[in-house]
Amino acid sequence: MTHSSRIDCEMRSVMPATLEAIEGFLAELHLRCGAMHDWVNCFTTELLVREALTNAVMHGCGADPARQVQCVLRLRDRGLLIAVMDEGEGFDWRAAFDREGEDFECSGRGISILRAYADRVRYNNKGNAVTIFKRFR
Amino acid sequence: MVVVTREDTRAVVQPSGDTIVAATLPELRSKMRGIVEEGVKDLTVDLANVRMVDSSGIGLLISAHNSLRKVGGQFALIHVSPELMDLFKTMRIHQHFTVSGS
Repeated sequence: MTHSSRIDCEMRSVMPATLEAIEGFLAELHLRCGAMHDWVNCFTTELLVREALTNAVMHGCGADPARQVQCVLRLRDRGLLIAVMDEGEGFDWRAAFDREGEDFECSGRGISILRAYADRVRYNNKGNAVTIFKRFR
Repeated sequence: MVVVTREDTRAVVQPSGDTIVAATLPELRSKMRGIVEEGVKDLTVDLANVRMVDSSGIGLLISAHNSLRKVGGQFALIHVSPELMDLFKTMRIHQHFTVSGS
């Protein structure tokens, strides 16, 4: 994390596509959460990071540790920016956005959570990079 | 370690750790499957020590509910934190089984 007058908090990581690596990144985030501004909702921040990284690791890279996932998290001016990119083939995010999941389905809620908790969720055309923005009030 | 308290066909499960997320699912999933296969019909998950549940965790809870519904059983969550309650309401899972707060 870096501090300056312009950027309040920034974390960057290139990690192997494993669930353990996600937990490592979030452990670091937790350590820093205590020092963050009181406008930061740590639950929402962690949930959004978890869903974005889990999608990249599990669906983007098939949990292949030989593949890498890049993550940038930035907190500034009451705004949270999360950018995640994986080395996978991408997915049809348009179909996922249009999909109305049934309440009793056991999977497929990751994108719904991102859209419910973030103000903006944008994928690239290939579907292997997502940018998420949330403004805390 | 997942703690299970059983009484006949009822059981209360306390997950280990403070998360039910992709990385921590296997132990809890295995334990809950085993309980249902052994004949438990009323299963309660105590979330008193759980601060985070992700989409994978929600999927596990829905799966347990679906399994119990097939055998005429019931599924419930207790001691749910306000933040998790908001998440469950947002994802509408509170409409199908009992979700009670802390």
